[in-house]
Amino acid sequence: MDTADLSPHISRRFNEDLDRVRNQVLAMGGFVEQQLAKSVTALVEGDSSLGEAVAHDDFHVNNMEVSIDEECSRILATRAPAASDLRLIVAIIKAITDLERMGDECEKIGYIASRLAAQERPVDKYREVKHLGRVVQDLVHDALDAFARMDAEAALRVARRDRLVDEEYEAIQRQSITFMMEDPRSIRRVLDVMWVVRALERIGDHAKNICEYVIYMVHGKDIRHIRIEDVERALKDGNGP
Amino acid sequence: MGWTIGHPWWGLTGALAIVLTQQWVKLHQLDHWLRNRNRRAPPDAGGLWGDVVSQVSRLHRRKQFHKQRLLSLFRELRRSSATMPDGVVVLNTQHEILWFNRKAGELLGLRRKTDHGIALASLLRLPQFGRYLEKGDFSSALRLQPRIGDAVWIEFQGMPYGEGQLVLLVRDVTRQAQLETMRKDFVANASHELRSPLTVIAGYLETLSLDDGVPADLRPPILEMRRQSERMTAIIADLLELSRLEASDEQVIGSPIDITALLTLIAKDLAANNGTRHGVEVRIESGDGLMADDGLVHSAFWNLAENAAKYTPAGGTITLRWWTDEDGGHLSVIDTGPGISAEHLPRLTERFYRVDPGRARDTGGSGLGLAIVRHVLQRHGGELAITSEEGRGSIFTCHFPPSRVARQSFALNGDSRYADGVGA
Repeated sequence: MDTADLSPHISRRFNEDLDRVRNQVLAMGGFVEQQLAKSVTALVEGDSSLGEAVAHDDFHVNNMEVSIDEECSRILATRAPAASDLRLIVAIIKAITDLERMGDECEKIGYIASRLAAQERPVDKYREVKHLGRVVQDLVHDALDAFARMDAEAALRVARRDRLVDEEYEAIQRQSITFMMEDPRSIRRVLDVMWVVRALERIGDHAKNICEYVIYMVHGKDIRHIRIEDVERALKDGNGP
Repeated sequence: MGWTIGHPWWGLTGALAIVLTQQWVKLHQLDHWLRNRNRRAPPDAGGLWGDVVSQVSRLHRRKQFHKQRLLSLFRELRRSSATMPDGVVVLNTQHEILWFNRKAGELLGLRRKTDHGIALASLLRLPQFGRYLEKGDFSSALRLQPRIGDAVWIEFQGMPYGEGQLVLLVRDVTRQAQLETMRKDFVANASHELRSPLTVIAGYLETLSLDDGVPADLRPPILEMRRQSERMTAIIADLLELSRLEASDEQVIGSPIDITALLTLIAKDLAANNGTRHGVEVRIESGDGLMADDGLVHSAFWNLAENAAKYTPAGGTITLRWWTDEDGGHLSVIDTGPGISAEHLPRLTERFYRVDPGRARDTGGSGLGLAIVRHVLQRHGGELAITSEEGRGSIFTCHFPPSRVARQSFALNGDSRYADGVGA
């Protein structure tokens, strides 16, 4: 950290504080990853009690967000961090909001999964949803890895992959329309599944946001609302976008 | 020389300047050599400087020798650890990665260049793993699926050393996990397949035992066959229930259950099954309910109560007691039976474990009751405690954590829920 040349005692405690809060964020991320995996499994395997468990456990995510938020405020107030330390805290405050929203989307999927479990499962056994779920899980996993390693290059690669999720989402949407036209009785179920797919797509977007915070944290550049290609060029040139 | 030209001081100064320049050049050579001593030969300097150079180069050679030895030892260690079939990760007191071998890198997706100094739990973010490290109790291994839905299972065994540092052994146990799943599936499938033919046999035996046309000497064997087929049906039902319970480690959420009503119902059923062989007493010491799955909890409590009734001789008493305190909710089934000697207690919840092989079979139990109780409690975060004194009786207590207690939710509305025998 930049503050290593302060008085060693204070700076060590400060670094420990920063490390602890960063590890808390990643623990929260790990819990959200598990929620995501469970919610998709609950839908694909028609396991209603697993779906209920996911919906029930979302309060843990909320609690973690609150406690990390408090910890960050405390660090800001008592340590007045600067430069990269300040960027870390800002990135953490943003990242936990995204993680909390991911948690909410998982809760939604879990709830729908427990409801759909009672109904007859479609012939394809939610193959497309399972695949999309896999892609999104990998995205979240790699985004959090980039966060843990402070690896801006990896973050950029992951952010670029969000496009895959969007493509997949479009494809499922088109397919669902055909299903509904072929068999109007399935409309209700297909609409529910669309909610799940939509939630997964949103989770992908949140994962992309986390990648952006990693880049902000490492390079001090805000790359939100900018096309990926421009970001790459800007990072290569070393100029601000 | 200075004397000859009449200026001795100038001569002395000139000579000193020459000597100093020579010394300076040698010092400079020495400095230059020390800076690049690995690539250059030592400078050739006679006298005192030569001694210094040879001393330094001897020291240097000795250090170089030790360094090489340590380095080659270290390389050997690293190379041999790379061939180890298991992964090894060394963590410091903050559980940050100090070192890991190649296998651990493969199994956990760690990168050699970047991942040193990063807290392992922030790369391996599974909540169970975080808890395992946090708790610091490494008496048992932790087995988990790094990615839900993947077939890969990994087992971690922590071994603390020094002052809070940790060596973590990482093993791929996918094969064992698969075998275990196969075994569980086999038991579930076999039980399922056995059930249908057994239903047919039991059906015919029932008809035959009621048929007056059957010769009198065949009646006793038919009755015995009917009893045994009922026992087999009970065993298969219990096996199926066990495999259902085992299928998941997920905690059951459930809903608030009125314990008063549940115990009253169990006491009533017990009396109906056994006549008035023993007295049954229900002691409710708390109006609190229990957050649980009522079907599972009923089956667990019923198993305990039925067990107590089986082993308690006529005239004995069975007490069902429910109370809550700061440790959570507790349900005890207390009997005045013969008791169980201490050596059997730890193994009592194993499947088909018999304290007295000869006697137990007469009572018609499946041998799976306590295993079911244990699994039900596990799924609710609780545990089963058994205390017993030979000749005096046994106490089976179900402990539930405080989070399972539904405070005061049934103080008023009594036993309406189970009054009609729902869930029996």
